[in-house]
Amino acid sequence: MSALLPWTWVLTLPGLVLTAAGVGRRPGIASIWGPLVMLLAALAWFATGAVPGDVVIPNWAPFLPDGSLHLRADALAALMLAILGFVSFFVYVYSLSYMEGDPGQRRFFCYLDFFVAAMALLVLGGTLGVLLVGWAGVGLASFLLISFWRDRPGTLRAGLDALAANMLGDAALLLAAVIVPSGCGDLTTLGTPRCTAGLGGAALLAWLLLIAAAAKSAQGPLYFWIPTAMAGPTPVSALIHAATMVAAGVYLLVRTHAVLELAPGVMLVTAWLGTLTMLGGGIVSLFQRNFKRGLAYSTISQLGYMFAAAGLAAPFASIFHLFTHAFFKALLFLAAGVAIHATGGEEDLARLGGLRRRLPVSFGTFLVGALALIGFPATSGGFSKDAIIDAGLRENPLIGYLLLAGALVTGLYIGRLLFGVYFGPERTHPHHEPALQVWPLVPLAIMAVVAGYFEWPGGGLSRALTPVLGAIEPLRAFSATGLAAAVLGLAGIGLSWPIVQSAPGATPAEVGTGWADALGQAGYSLSRGLAGLQTGLLTRYALASLLGVAVILLLAARL
Amino acid sequence: MTAEAIVLATTAALFALGAAGVLLRRNPVAVLMAVEIMLNAANLLIVLGGRVRGEVLGQAIALIVLVIAAAEAVIGLGLALALYRDQVMADVDETREVRG
Repeated sequence: MSALLPWTWVLTLPGLVLTAAGVGRRPGIASIWGPLVMLLAALAWFATGAVPGDVVIPNWAPFLPDGSLHLRADALAALMLAILGFVSFFVYVYSLSYMEGDPGQRRFFCYLDFFVAAMALLVLGGTLGVLLVGWAGVGLASFLLISFWRDRPGTLRAGLDALAANMLGDAALLLAAVIVPSGCGDLTTLGTPRCTAGLGGAALLAWLLLIAAAAKSAQGPLYFWIPTAMAGPTPVSALIHAATMVAAGVYLLVRTHAVLELAPGVMLVTAWLGTLTMLGGGIVSLFQRNFKRGLAYSTISQLGYMFAAAGLAAPFASIFHLFTHAFFKALLFLAAGVAIHATGGEEDLARLGGLRRRLPVSFGTFLVGALALIGFPATSGGFSKDAIIDAGLRENPLIGYLLLAGALVTGLYIGRLLFGVYFGPERTHPHHEPALQVWPLVPLAIMAVVAGYFEWPGGGLSRALTPVLGAIEPLRAFSATGLAAAVLGLAGIGLSWPIVQSAPGATPAEVGTGWADALGQAGYSLSRGLAGLQTGLLTRYALASLLGVAVILLLAARL
Repeated sequence: MTAEAIVLATTAALFALGAAGVLLRRNPVAVLMAVEIMLNAANLLIVLGGRVRGEVLGQAIALIVLVIAAAEAVIGLGLALALYRDQVMADVDETREVRG
């Protein structure tokens, strides 16, 4: 199995070619088997002893110092592939029904195939160069899928937002790949002294990796593209902007945690960035009118938890939360998609309501996802959030208590969405739930509950990941902090009920617009000033580049 | 003055001439010709390098550069032609629609 696993990224490419060539009456059927085989290959790899395997094709990209095509199958890659295979298989099935009758259906599945291939290449990349190919590929796929409905207003703009943020991350990662000394592109040896001896040392490398990860995972100021990304179809939001692609930043931090640990300052920044994004994203979610945007801010907030864990020297807690979050957040999005589809594309919370009677499966699975999200004991989210808060209290109590307080915010925003959409008076007339949209929810709901038992009580996941991540502290399940978080989460859900009652539908309160406007105005004037540099005069540009070359030559001559 | 030094001086002069042409001329075809002069200066330097090191690699690369330069000239002339069609008086300084 260790020889097959590195090649799982090509599995969806035959489907891509067939769908693009127009084979098959129903697009999507051709490619649906790729993710399933990917999942089975990853599981079989774990079952057959989890022997790491490398595929190295030297001199694949001779212009890079380490230009070999290096694919690496280890426990972390296999875990990510299992998540990707599982979630994307059910998203494919769901999309068969969700996208039925759409004129661009065939194009949709081609993009989806491309995304899965790029994402698998990202997690299988054994060097920064290969990782970067997948990294840029998922960014492109994200753009294509967000702008999928080209004729709807604003979708192209939303796609370009995503592309801009992703390009920033790509640039940071490319710089990181360039400053690493040659012979050090391998991700497993990135933390060794020889590899951090490049320009700027470990600190600069860690900074670049953090910027790349924050752009991909929408942390801190780079959060802006995920809410607008909700313009894409809901299955895309579930797969790309909740479960897999946005988690790639967390994956990068966990994969290169050895570099991060050499730079304590960057670690602290990562932890605070995650914590503040977690709180901010949760609070902003409370003021969304749009159902999917409410969930999008929830994703930003949960990714904040993972970043905080990565910054608190707890890479396992981070990847464990990534694992559980992939299931319950994909579930929440797909359940929301059923409601949106059944009401004819209604996403406005003020016009949704009372859907629990007509859409019982959507309601039930959304409830399960919400419970996992707030970290209800014995659900998957309970275990993983517990691990992160524990790490916080151990490493940095202030961050720990803030992470604990985040549980209350989580309960508030998810309760508001739950009550707003599924309770109260019916404002729409939904049609029934299509079978193909309903049954993918069931396995995801089951995983949202049981995913935690891959780790507790046997410790299977941490044992498998120890060779990659180093020694892992055992999980303390059902601890006092975990129970406190769950109680806070439930309290949040309870408190959100009167909020929804007092204000029917959404609460589009205009909070803090004063300083937000001022900040926006400042940013605008800054960019206006910078835009003055872009004269459009070709000769001016030529002069600038000539002078730049001259400066570089002078510097090179002096060195 | 050795033969190499003479060629090197010629290269530098050609490059400076080309760069000046790119910066000062306003006719797109003239700008393209100036770019070609810069390319040929670089090419001459490559051939010189090959001669100094006694390798054929320099000549091989120079031939590749010639081919690529030809392709580049095709695209450049196409652009110039499109510019002429677009505006009666073609002037690279008047063409600044992409300014910020």
